[in-house]
This record gives sequence, C-alpha cells and structure tokens, in this order.
Amino acid sequence: MSPDGAAPAPDGWLLDITESGDGRSVVLWTKERRSGRVRRTAVDYRPPFFVSGSKADLLDLGRRLSGRSDVASTDLGAGRPSLYDRRTRPLLAVTPAHHRARRRLAGAIDALGGYERFALYDVDLAVPQLYHLGHGLYPFAPVVGSGARLSATEPAATIDYALPPLALARLEVRLAGTRRGRLPPPDGRIGSVRLGETTLEGPEEDLLRALVGELARRDPDVLLTEGGDAFDLPWLYRRAAACGLAPEEFVLGREPVPFAPSRPARSFESYGRVLHRDASFPLPGRFHVDGENSFLYDDAAIPGLVDAARLSRLSLQTVVRQSPGTCFTAMEMAEALARGIHVPWKKNRPEAFRRGDHLVRADRGGVIFLPPVGAHDRVDEFDFANLYPHLMVRRNLSAETLECRCCPASPVRAPGLGYRSCERAVGLIPRTLGPLLARRLAYKARLRRPELPPEERSRLERRVKMLKWILVTAFGYQGYRNARFGRIECHEAINAYARELLATLASEAERAGYRVVHGIVDSLWLRPLEPGGAVDPEGFARTMGERFDVPLGYEGRYRWIVFLPAVTHGLGVPNRYYGLYERGAFKLRGIGGRRHDTPGLLRRLEVEILALFRRAGGAEELRALVPRALARADLFAGRLREGAWPLEELLVAHRIGQAPEAFVTFTDSVAAVRQLAEAGALRGAGETVRYAILDRRSRSFRGRVRPAELVRGDERYDVGAYLELLAREAETLLAPFGVDRATLLARWGAPAPPERDPYRSPEARPQTVLAAGF
Amino acid sequence: MGRTAPTYRQALEERMKRWDAFARLLTTPEERAAFELLRTGARRYVAQATYVGSPDLLESILLSVLTDLAVRLRADGAGRPASR
Repeated sequence: MSPDGAAPAPDGWLLDITESGDGRSVVLWTKERRSGRVRRTAVDYRPPFFVSGSKADLLDLGRRLSGRSDVASTDLGAGRPSLYDRRTRPLLAVTPAHHRARRRLAGAIDALGGYERFALYDVDLAVPQLYHLGHGLYPFAPVVGSGARLSATEPAATIDYALPPLALARLEVRLAGTRRGRLPPPDGRIGSVRLGETTLEGPEEDLLRALVGELARRDPDVLLTEGGDAFDLPWLYRRAAACGLAPEEFVLGREPVPFAPSRPARSFESYGRVLHRDASFPLPGRFHVDGENSFLYDDAAIPGLVDAARLSRLSLQTVVRQSPGTCFTAMEMAEALARGIHVPWKKNRPEAFRRGDHLVRADRGGVIFLPPVGAHDRVDEFDFANLYPHLMVRRNLSAETLECRCCPASPVRAPGLGYRSCERAVGLIPRTLGPLLARRLAYKARLRRPELPPEERSRLERRVKMLKWILVTAFGYQGYRNARFGRIECHEAINAYARELLATLASEAERAGYRVVHGIVDSLWLRPLEPGGAVDPEGFARTMGERFDVPLGYEGRYRWIVFLPAVTHGLGVPNRYYGLYERGAFKLRGIGGRRHDTPGLLRRLEVEILALFRRAGGAEELRALVPRALARADLFAGRLREGAWPLEELLVAHRIGQAPEAFVTFTDSVAAVRQLAEAGALRGAGETVRYAILDRRSRSFRGRVRPAELVRGDERYDVGAYLELLAREAETLLAPFGVDRATLLARWGAPAPPERDPYRSPEARPQTVLAAGF
Repeated sequence: MGRTAPTYRQALEERMKRWDAFARLLTTPEERAAFELLRTGARRYVAQATYVGSPDLLESILLSVLTDLAVRLRADGAGRPASR
C-alpha cells in the first residue's frame, strides 16, 4: 500500500460508479488490466440517511415510517453525527426504498418534525459517492478482486499513481449543408459524424446505426466533444428519434439511456453575474467530456480531472461539469465521513448575534493598496502561494476549532478580532486542505526536476492547476451561508490573519531596503531604494517565508510595469496593470486581451502595442515609445474607416443578463437576441451572444447589429462605433501617458463621446427656467 | 466580506455622493478644484483606512484627507512636486 511500488499489481481499475435505473443498486465499471475490456457489475446498494432528535421523537418517527412504501427499513442507533458533537446522540438510520425517493422522503421527515425537531444527515450525497466512501474505493482506483468484491491497492491520496490506460475518441457531428457554428435549421439532418480519425457519412439512419457500431468496435472510455452538451449529443438523440430509433438501439454510452438530458440547461446568478450552464448529457460507463461546458477542462484536462475525481470521489463526468467548489465540498465530505461525522442536510447554525461595531471590524477583506498610476521600473514582485489555505492549516481555522470550549487560553488568536483556535484537535478544514497543499508542493517540486519527460511535465502541470482552483475556492466556502461546514467567523479570521501578514511584510520590506509600490492581499510589488538594487530578492523571500511559516514566492523583477487608472476618478485601480518581467514574459491584468469577449480588432491593437513596448528596457524608454504606439492606433483607425476590416474581427461578445423577454431598453445585444429568436435560436439569461455592430443609431433590430450565426458576408459595419471602441482600448493602455479617448476621436475625425459630468446626465437640458424660479 | 457591513470603499463612495450637493454650490473654479483635491485625498488612503476598521467613517475620511494635505504641504515646502 505504499507509493514506492510495493503495492500488489492491480487486476484492473475502477473507472466509475453509476446509479442504476432500478433505484436499488449501483453499477461498478471496471477496466481489466490484461484484456483492457470494461466490465459492468450491478451491486445491490441502498444507503441510509440519518435523522437525529430526541429518543422519543425518533421512536415515534420509526413507527410512523414503518408502513410507508418509500421506506425500506429504519434502524435506531447512536452516533456523533455533527462536527460539534462531543457525546453520542440517538440516531435513526432510514433506508429509502428507491434512490429517487431519498430527497422526497427526507423532506417528509423534516416536515413531520415541524422543521425543527429533527436534524438530517447524508441526504443529498450522491449514491455512487456514498458507495465509494463506504467501501474504501474511489474513481480510477487500481483494484484487486472482481465483481462486487473490489479493494483498492493504494489509498486515494497516493501522489505517485499510474493513470489507467484510457481510450479517448473525439466526437463531432456535422449537419448536411450547414457550417458548424452557424444556425442549424430545426430539422437539420446529420450529414457526417467524426469519431476519432473515422468519418462516417451516408443516409442518416444508416449513419446513426454505423456510429453505434463504430462505438462498440472502438469502445472508447472517453468521448471528447466541443459543445457536446449543447449541440452534438442532443442533436444525435433528436435525429435518432426522428429516424425512429429506440433508446435501446441508439446507445452512445455503455448502456442505454433515455434521449433526454440528465440535467436541463439553466441560468443562475453568482457574484452578481448571470451565468448559463448547458444541459448535461453524461453517458453511463463511458465518460462524455464536453470542453465547452466545463470550467475546469481548459486548465486541468484529463490528468487534472482524474486527480480531482480520485480525491473527491465524484465521477469524472460530474467533476468535469462542476465548479472547483463542488469538488472541494465533496473532499470535505469524504474527510468528514472517514472520521464518522455525517454531512448535515441543512445547516442549522445561525450566525451569533454581534454588535455593529464588531461587524465593521470583522467583516473586512485583505489589504489592497492604491497602485501608483504610471510606468515604473526595477519593481520586484512577491506573492504568498495559497496564502489562505496555508493560514487555515497553520492556524487551525475550521468551524469547530474556532472558539472551541476546550482551549479558553489558546494563544492562537485572530489579530484584532481575538477568535481563538483550538490547540488540541485538528479541524476538518485543515485536515482536508493539509494533504492538498502537500500534494501541490510535491507536484511542484517534481516539476523543478530538469530531466522530466514532457508528457509527465504536462500531466503534473494540469494537476497543479486543478489543485490551485480547488484551494482557491476553499476560502470562499467558509463565508458562504449554505456551506455545510462553513462558518463566517472562520472567513473573518482568515482575512484578519492575512491583513496582519501583509502589513508586517510591508514594514519588513522597508527595513530590507525596499519601498512598497503596490500590494494586493497576498502579493507585494517592491522597488529597491538604491538604484543599483542592493536587495537580494530570493533571500528576502526565503527569510520572510520562514518567518511567517507560509511560503513566499519571488515572481521576478519587472523591466517596467504600468499601473492603470480608473476612468471615473483617475486614481489607480487594483488588478489593472501590464508589465514585462526581466525574463521576457508579460503579465497582464484587467486589460482587453485577457478577456474572452474582446473583439479581435482590439486584441490585435493590444498585441501590436505590447510587441512595440517589449523593446523598452525601462520606464523612460517605454514613455519614449508612446508616440509610436499612437501612430499604430492611427493606422488601425485609418483602415477601419476604409470599411474593409474583416467582420470576424469585429464580433462583440455580450453575456445576456436577463431573460430576453424582460428587456426594457433597446441595446445592441437585445437586437442580436431578437434576431436569433426570429431565426429559431432562443438564448437564455447567462448565455453569450456575439454580433457585429452595423448601425448603432438604427431603431430596427435587424439594422442595428448582425449576430455571428447569421453573418452573410456583405454587411457594412458602423465605423463610428468601432472607432470609439478602438479609442477606448488605446485609452485603457495609454491613459497613464496622457492619452484620452476624446482627443483620439477628434484626431481620427470621429464625433467625440458625450462628456461625463458627475452632476448631470448627458441628456439633461439646462433647466434655466426652473432654476430661476428658486 | 462587504456582505453584512458595507466595505469602507463603498461607505466612502456613498458619503461622497452626499458631498456632491456641497460641491454644486461652489461657485469658482478654484473652489471646485480644491474640493476635488479633498476627494482625491480621501480616496488615496482607502487601504490604510480599511486596515484600521474604525466604526467612525468620518474619522477615517478626515485622517485620509489630512494626511494627503500634509504630504502636499511638505512637498511644497521642500520646493518639489507632490507625488506618490
């Protein structure tokens, strides 16, 4: 069971566990090592959930449940279900008759208890997840044994593990007579399907049957698509139904499923942004990975996702469609269940009453300095890697370890707030995060080895990125009111420690001969006071890292860095800057090219200006290049005015903030959404529309813009609108050097944008008559 | 953060909106420019004021504005332009 290779050779790998349709069992999908074949084993499994309450109430509940058809059995016992429990409590285990009855039954029990007498546990964990946890298994575990008798040959946390040999195949559907990316007609027939290197063509029904045959022949473990959840799979199912094929005949996974998504598309709000998620079409026994419907796939790819699946006990198909926060929560749950703690269904821990002035002190984020607008050279950048997770681990910050009853004299207290940390027991959060941090460091240490083969390097890089995302979300989940094991004081304590740390680091930096240029939460930008730069940055990072017991990284020295101002008040804004490291790499934050929705035109301008600035060795040389950057912008403006800029480079992307029928003002994106709706393509809130601006002043929704899907090729774009966008982009990059968009527009002969006046809106007419009356 | 109690940044901007009415009846460009200077001063020390976490908003604003003015005074006295 040790990672040094002493583990017995596995008979195969457990790829996945899925719920089976009968609602009383799960299906284990194992890949045999020798034959490479995937085997399906159904195992009876109905996991209970738990109810705690007074013994009398539970006895009564047990009696009431005994006659119900949706209950298989009940069993009264005792346990310590909650994180905060010190002694055992009576606990009723309730086994639902059917997987699908689980949540409904839990709701009914909650109602029987008047929503206050019972606390429920382990209700909404996925059944396969519970099977993994109850049987010491995890996705992609090397296993010995067969059928239902499987045991993993190494623990899930093993750092050095062999990835099972997965057969991947790319799937892409093309409709007859329509280019991919253009609007398909509602009855669009499938003209060809590409599976790996094979392209299938022919009459539709034959083609679909051939696809099933080809899938069975190749038997891939993973189907990779770009947009499979939104287009390829639903379209395949739709056409299969139209051709009269039954779900039992048209099987894309390793067993038949109905022609419907397992989860419909939905719009939701997160941090003030409306987002959209496509419906999901997972396949039983065969992983469907849709690169477009996945936040994590871009960064983590298969190696990172496998790592996350192993640690969280979630299926790869779930991990790929979920946020890193879901993975982190699942990892917390796994850690809790391993320690005999159950997962509360509804969090029953209200915030303690606190005075207003305490809230003002406690409810604060990290330190964010005001960056000095303009170009600076000889700047050193430092940052704490995974500062918040490190603080949670080092200071033992977890819901149950904060202000514990056992350590009233603990010296570990949050600065300024006084929250104590337990000295006796390690909390759930540090227990979950500690191994993740160690894992990330181990991967990073391995990445520093020079002789690393390239595939191994890329695999490790994916895993590091995956872990980074999971660690980042761990902090946010402390403050989220619905987080199962979160607690707001924990969130506040982390911030308090982080503020203290950065403040101390800033004064230490001055003592070491630096001046603080800028700082954000866990990063500092410093400039040596001596022009020669007498400070040893590596040494400084090492000493400080040891002193705070949190690794401090030296990111490098900038040849120059430009901090950008806010358009409203002209002072610097955090997280908007661009700079060139001495090693030749750019770091860009908050400027156009970093964002996916920037039109190609603006990205091109940015690339050209940055390429020009690359020649500058310092701030002075950079300033000297500004006139040439402006000349570059003039060139762009000139070509734009000729009307010959390719339309693909002018597409503006816009995320729709509300349901299309809810719009009250007529904007570019509304015009695009209405045209798409007219063409039969409805777009929901949170989805993105891409369009070219044809005539911004037009009152007709057809004349105003043209959505990307409906581009014909003969459109004439709105020169004035694009000149304005171009001026705005040039202003963003060059504002610290005195460039503003009104001057640029005047120089290009375009009408100036209305002046911003803090005291009245641009449309307001002077109200002389009224004013005179007062 | 900033969910239960507004952040200092938010509270400051909210208070500045109230100052708009004050600025409206300033009648000379010099007065208006001077007033804008105060606003800039208040915004310049947001990090420091947040770090204090004082329940007294005005205390934080005054400290920021006065620090800014003191820096400018010293810079003028030394005969070089104020900068940060």
